Amino acid sequence: MQIKLQQVVPDFIEEEKISGSQVWRSDLVFHKGEKVHIIAPSGSGKTSLIHFLYGLRKDYSGSIFYDDKNINGFTAEDFATSRRQFTSIVFQDLRLFTGQTVIQNLEIKRQLDPFHSQSKIVEMANRLGIGSKLNKLCSTCSYGEQQRIAIIRALQQPYDFLLLDEPFSHLDDNNRSLAMELMEEEAELRSAAVILVDLKPVEYFKPDRTLNL
Amino acid sequence: MKLSFDQIAPFLVTGQNRASRWLGYIGLGIGILLLLCSIQMFININELLKSRNPKKSGYDYISVTKSISNENMAADHSFSDDDISTLKKQSFVDDIAAFQSNKFVMKANGGTALPFETDLFFESIDEKFIDTVPASFSWKEGQTTVPVIMSSDYLELYNSVFAPSRDLPQFSEKSITALMITIDCYGIGEMQRFRGNVVALSDRINTVVVPDNFLQWANKRFANSIKTNANKILLKTKDANDPDLLKFLQLKDYHINRDKTRFGRVKQILQAIVSGLAGFGVLVILLAMVLFSFYLQLMIAKSRENLQLLLTIGYSPQWLSKTVAKKWIPVYVLVVISALAITALLHWAFQHFIMAGQESLSPLIHWLVALVALLVLLLSLAINFRLIKKLLYKL
Repeated sequence: MQIKLQQVVPDFIEEEKISGSQVWRSDLVFHKGEKVHIIAPSGSGKTSLIHFLYGLRKDYSGSIFYDDKNINGFTAEDFATSRRQFTSIVFQDLRLFTGQTVIQNLEIKRQLDPFHSQSKIVEMANRLGIGSKLNKLCSTCSYGEQQRIAIIRALQQPYDFLLLDEPFSHLDDNNRSLAMELMEEEAELRSAAVILVDLKPVEYFKPDRTLNL
Repeated sequence: MKLSFDQIAPFLVTGQNRASRWLGYIGLGIGILLLLCSIQMFININELLKSRNPKKSGYDYISVTKSISNENMAADHSFSDDDISTLKKQSFVDDIAAFQSNKFVMKANGGTALPFETDLFFESIDEKFIDTVPASFSWKEGQTTVPVIMSSDYLELYNSVFAPSRDLPQFSEKSITALMITIDCYGIGEMQRFRGNVVALSDRINTVVVPDNFLQWANKRFANSIKTNANKILLKTKDANDPDLLKFLQLKDYHINRDKTRFGRVKQILQAIVSGLAGFGVLVILLAMVLFSFYLQLMIAKSRENLQLLLTIGYSPQWLSKTVAKKWIPVYVLVVISALAITALLHWAFQHFIMAGQESLSPLIHWLVALVALLVLLLSLAINFRLIKKLLYKL
């Protein structure tokens, strides 16, 4: 699969922020298997771009295509299918079920279209240092731990594109490196693309290309 | 692994507002029970009142006149052509015949065998409406013997009341036909004598009938009268207890023999009560559905964030609607089956104890009741599914 952007401009953005952008009002194609780093200062529409790509928002002009299909015409069912099989995401605001346990948060995603076995969840959790938290309520975990839960959750499904919206904002260097390593391994396993959006370059991420938003 | 409700159940707030949920179930059960019992009783009433009124020919014959009250005594009470054609158009009327009556003075006496004299009347009607028409029931101009068909009630009255009071002989049905009576018809300044012979007795016709051609001839001869509007008609119908027939007769203010339609009126009242009960049942079902929909709306509103997040991480809204709706299938099935079982039990008890096992009533519930139960079940499930789907797509 590939994701194509055609002259996409958010409805709310100021004209001066568009002129220097390599993404807004451009024609871009993201291919399966490549690593793309998008760097942007605050307020330039990072989260909006990720939400546009994932199909959560439609407040933009221009078009976004999954292969040749304009996602503007997608139904809720079409998005459900693509989110189950082609696109996975780590939200900046995490979006976890805070009233449920960590394992429930991970299982609810894994069961949808299992790419790994349940034991793999335990292995990943141990690797990122939250193995002991699996049966704790999500709301009792620190923000850094919740960020790692969100990362592990995103890796439980098949995907062609992994969308990351400031995934390390609350992690220390060691955990950043561990998490990046895990995500790159998982992307290779699926020959998937990784699109990472952040405020500044992430040293553990070696992109094929870097774009300024 | 196949996804099921159990996996998403922890993410939904289903335990809240239990009272409203249970009230919803109980209300639904009571409503369906009322509806099913009403339908079964409606069918029972029809069956019981139909079989209690046996008909020889498969038809009821009712004689109909216009009601005479103090207010309309002076009015014309005959049936116009319009009246008759309106009656004929009604679905519950199979056929109609008008009675013609004599327009001249007549006297009858029994001669030496039956020493009494009386004023008399004759009527005539289309022969196909008479239950007993022997071949001898015909008259030709010039014939002095007139065949007569008389209500068997008259013979019974004569034998039980009139004959003993006058010390006159009593007659069997057969011996009455051997009797000849003298009939004197009076015209203007003249009198002609005929011999009357009772050729048959009728259970259906409550009058004295002669051949139509004789009456027409005699009316012209003695009263110079031609055929006029009838004051009485005979109505042929499949069911004298048809509530529509009764309603029509009441509306037109027509008078009938009330005994013949007694069950009809009872049926009319009972069916109205039972229909009211069924209406009430439907109302209770609707209220229960509304209550249940409040519960669902509340559940979805309380689980709103989680449901939204499930959709965000890739759960299909169609699958979610179906799965959440399916959760209630066993509950609905149980409610409907319970209502059906209680209806069956009540009907059996009614047939067994109250009607003392009357054979005309099956101890099993009517198939229509089971069909309605199935329809209510399907309808409830469809409404439930649509409601959940609508609420989820609105998120």
